[in-house]
Amino acid sequence: MRRAFAILIAVILLLAGCGTPVTPKQGVLPASDGPHSDYDVMFLQMMISHQEQGLEMLELGRAKAVREDVVNLAGAIDVTEAEEVQTMRTWLSSWNVPVVTVSDPGNHAAHGAQPATGPAELKALQDATGTDFELKFLNLLIAHQHNAVEMAQQQALNGQNAAVKKLAERIELSRTQQIKQMLALVSG
Amino acid sequence: MRRMVLYPLVALGAAVGTLCFGSPASAHGYVSSPPSRQALCAQGKVPDCGAIQYEPQSVEGPKGLKSCDGGKSQFAVLADDSRNWPATAVGTAVTFNWVLTARHATSTWDYFIGNTRIAQFNDGGRQPNATVSHQVSLSGFSGRQKILAVWNIADTANAFYNCIDVQIGGSGSPSPSPSRSASPTRSASPSRSAPVATKPPVPSGTAWAANTKYRVGDIVTYDGKRYQCRQAHTSIFTWEPIYTLALWLPV
Repeated sequence: MRRAFAILIAVILLLAGCGTPVTPKQGVLPASDGPHSDYDVMFLQMMISHQEQGLEMLELGRAKAVREDVVNLAGAIDVTEAEEVQTMRTWLSSWNVPVVTVSDPGNHAAHGAQPATGPAELKALQDATGTDFELKFLNLLIAHQHNAVEMAQQQALNGQNAAVKKLAERIELSRTQQIKQMLALVSG
Repeated sequence: MRRMVLYPLVALGAAVGTLCFGSPASAHGYVSSPPSRQALCAQGKVPDCGAIQYEPQSVEGPKGLKSCDGGKSQFAVLADDSRNWPATAVGTAVTFNWVLTARHATSTWDYFIGNTRIAQFNDGGRQPNATVSHQVSLSGFSGRQKILAVWNIADTANAFYNCIDVQIGGSGSPSPSPSRSASPTRSASPSRSAPVATKPPVPSGTAWAANTKYRVGDIVTYDGKRYQCRQAHTSIFTWEPIYTLALWLPV
């Protein structure tokens, strides 16, 4: 409830024009200054792994999707997530924390997250062609982005660092809208 | 000003959806095409669905139900037939495609029309593939039908429920449904097919907006600055030019 109240206040302030729309430098999220917790570190490590796995899928989508809208969406998600990964890596290194590859799906599950898309799924995508590829690609990527939303929601609840929490909110919002676009594409 | 108002409202909706309706970790799968009712809500084609639009994968309930909402009151909109759900035109057979966000060991996938089970796929307790598709015959049925698709989990007492509205053997979908591109190959021509629910291309130099199709080279203004698109995309909130150097170059 505290969070809901805080958001409500933020919305009211924004609606009233009392927000502080400090425009950050383009492409650069606010620095991860201030205290951070183990949860923040774990979230960044997991999200980097999750997105890097997604990048392989997205490369396939750019190369093999049939419709231009799907190719473009894959391309836009690809480049924006690569940018995010860069930011997250910078934050970890500013905390002197190694970027550990969290690639074992069991590891994710142990942390209460969802299994990531693994090598078997990527192989299935590599083998598929045409509209069959596109259907599999979209359904896999929709699930992948639902998983990102779930991880981001956990961070919003359990994280500490303000910049990381802000990033998590942005991830939740952007992936939700991407899913919207993909559901239209998969049924259209 | 419009951006300032809309953006937080979108965020608020998503946040409230999370807060009020349980752990997001309890989410698992749904039928994406032909679109289930929860998929139509999540893609925004059917408005005012409430929480389900943010977690279409969460319609989980005890096994044995015949309900579109899995018995969950917060998702009751899914069982409301008066919502005039768009029906997808299908032939006498249809392939159902699932999005799985957690791949539970599965006993069966069941499909019903009314009380008649029209198909069952038995996975024998195995973990399903990351993408699941089932071809189901609809012979013997015609006109508008509501198909209930049920994913029965092997190691829990629960199942996931979806209702999919179809129009069998005709093109009589009551709502305009986007047609799949006829050409199997990507067109190299500069002409573009009309996007679904997207505004037409904007004149150069107009203000950035969400849900707009931008091509490489398009120029927009944002907060008084000009940007050039470097990766074609349909815009969303969080992809504003100030945030995404990968999509927009300052000019």
